[in-house]
Amino acid sequence: MTTTTPIGAPAPTGEPPVAVSPRRGTGRRGPGPLFVLPFAVPFALFLVWPVLQGIWMSFTDSSLALRATSFVGLDNYAEAFGDPDVWSSLGNTVFFTAASSVPLVLIALAMALLVHSGLAGQWAWRLSFFVPYLLPVTVVTLIWTWLYQPDVGLGNELLGALGLEPVGWLSDESVAMWSVAALTVWWTVGFNFLLYLAALQSLPTVFDEAAALDGAGAWRRLWSVTLPQLRRTTVLVAMLQILASLKVFDQIYILTKGGPNGSTRPILEYVYDVGFTGYRLGYASAVSYVFFALVIVVSLAQLRLFRQED
Amino acid sequence: MSSSSHPREVPAVPGPGPAPGIGRRRLLRYGAAGASALLATGPLTGCSSRASASDASALNVWDLFQGGDGMLMDDMIRAVSKGSDGFEVDRTILDWGPSYYTKLAMSAAGGRASDVAVLHLSRLAGYAPGGLLDPFDLDLLAEFGVTEKHFTPAVWARTKHDGVVYAIPLDVHPFIVFYNRDAADRAGLLDPQGELAAMGSPKAMLEAGKALAEVTGKSGILFGHVTDTAQNWRQFAALYAQTGAAFTLPDGGPAEIDTDAAIQVVSFMQQLFDGRTNPNNLDYNSALAGFLGGRGGMAMLGEWELPTLRKSGIPLGAAPFPQVFGKPAVYTDSHSYVLPHQASPDPARRREAHRYVAEILKQSLTWASAGHIPAYQPVLAEPAYAKLDPQSSYADAGEVAVLDPPNWFAGAASNFQNRMCQPLQSALLGNTSAEKAVRQMVREANTLLRQPNPVA
Repeated sequence: MTTTTPIGAPAPTGEPPVAVSPRRGTGRRGPGPLFVLPFAVPFALFLVWPVLQGIWMSFTDSSLALRATSFVGLDNYAEAFGDPDVWSSLGNTVFFTAASSVPLVLIALAMALLVHSGLAGQWAWRLSFFVPYLLPVTVVTLIWTWLYQPDVGLGNELLGALGLEPVGWLSDESVAMWSVAALTVWWTVGFNFLLYLAALQSLPTVFDEAAALDGAGAWRRLWSVTLPQLRRTTVLVAMLQILASLKVFDQIYILTKGGPNGSTRPILEYVYDVGFTGYRLGYASAVSYVFFALVIVVSLAQLRLFRQED
Repeated sequence: MSSSSHPREVPAVPGPGPAPGIGRRRLLRYGAAGASALLATGPLTGCSSRASASDASALNVWDLFQGGDGMLMDDMIRAVSKGSDGFEVDRTILDWGPSYYTKLAMSAAGGRASDVAVLHLSRLAGYAPGGLLDPFDLDLLAEFGVTEKHFTPAVWARTKHDGVVYAIPLDVHPFIVFYNRDAADRAGLLDPQGELAAMGSPKAMLEAGKALAEVTGKSGILFGHVTDTAQNWRQFAALYAQTGAAFTLPDGGPAEIDTDAAIQVVSFMQQLFDGRTNPNNLDYNSALAGFLGGRGGMAMLGEWELPTLRKSGIPLGAAPFPQVFGKPAVYTDSHSYVLPHQASPDPARRREAHRYVAEILKQSLTWASAGHIPAYQPVLAEPAYAKLDPQSSYADAGEVAVLDPPNWFAGAASNFQNRMCQPLQSALLGNTSAEKAVRQMVREANTLLRQPNPVA
């Protein structure tokens, strides 16, 4: 089960292999563009166009109500930079990203190593680690809402059994974001686990065997042989994870509505609040482009790191 | 499973948030039309009246009544669909909350909204000024037997914007108290008629809580507010209005709030939910469950919980929200019918919409069985209503109704309520003082008031 063909391929990078096809003639165009159309048209219509439209909207006072829209220049951006709620929700998003990404990478790695080490009942472990990822967000949140109940929830019940004080899982400002992070880890760690497991199973076994012959113990082999070979996978997992965590919205919106006292409100919920329940589409667009800029910066920084790793 | 439910379905796309996807008005119009077409034929169409969903001539009605309320609304629609002049109704039920109001606003902004929709009266100030609603023709309504004199002045006053009527109230639904008759009896809180005696002072209320806690052996008064975006505010607004102070939100700010009265109210709430005689850390469902399980003698809830509570078999009493300060006041909202804006309304359909609203109002006795107080007064005068117990015991609540201060951002399921609830929650949990909580409420209100008004 654990020994697969030692192809020595690195972990999947998510990029399809580039097929180089011979061109018939330099003057004639093949049917290539036609094949691209089914993807390109929806992409342009539902991604590129809304992005451009959104940029335009961020310079207007556009509203959900039937009111004439006028151009306001950089007013929305000026307001956004001076809006303490923008900064606090941006801070919450960054905090959540840090609080969720680190365990999501480390726990996934630990789980993959455990399963790869040849535990009995492989399929059961893989299934139980991955199944939460298949649940819809509403179901996950409902389950954890009950676990976090202050009065009858399992969390406080367990603490009580251990003789500890109950915790305000969702009502204590200093705890609530950690509760959200715990839920998120439980829910999504399975995906990273699978990536790691796939990488582990495709590692060549020769180095490990050689190290064992030289008398290296299990820990030494893990540190000096396995983990270095997993570096590219770790970079990939961390990159995907950080981008996913920055986009957090749904589980928080259902679980706490951003409370208590705005301590769990991520920037995307703030965009939703001002744009949809507050009708101010222009301002919401401006805030979302401020966030967009942050995501671009993070992506570029990661790209640089990635290059250095190579 | 929706595609948005997974955090990593589209991993590399740094989502710019939902707003940019909306586009300009034209896009809205097509989007809303598409959405309503989908909804109209989708599984959300819960009604089983004569009309089939595909019937183009059927009257389109949007509402947010689910569960027991939804079934009663079905009954009422069935009743008005009978006979030769019966309606063909194509009913769309949407989930209550911010999403309902977003969809309603978008459909109206698109100009092709449903013929009739339900709106909380407290939201009118965010809808009527922006042109999202069309006014009612009162002459037409009178033709079908419904006029101003059929409503209480307190409620009717809130149906207007610039002197024009934009909403016809179906009910008023106050925040009330339910109590366990046995527990209240043993705690000595009943009057000679066997009803909950008036409280009259903060001290009396605190003592009632202690007495009930002793009787139940657990808690006195249950109130769920943790992670809730309305409960705290409902209670604060009622008690604050009882002090006789005004809470107004004039455009441009600053908010006019009597901070001394507000601090007095929050301090009282802290005493009432001190975490000992009354748990202070319950959420809505655990308060409800606690009351159903006999772990409390009284629960502060909306009257719409009546069907659930009655099914439980506990000896149930209900009373208007207790008056503890100087003036009677009860936090209330009102489900009202509105005409969402249509760019080119068909006069015949408009006429039918008016007739529909009038006919549904006359069915409000059915509606009252869910616990709501009918806004249409002739129903209250019917002997059948007086027989409804315990509904008739809080029917007066409509006369001392306190709604949210009117402003575009306030009302049911609004940012405003959520923002007011957050500092109140901190105060009740003991994480902050009453003074600080009130100061934060004022700050939050002023922040909202400083925003440019998107509907004016």
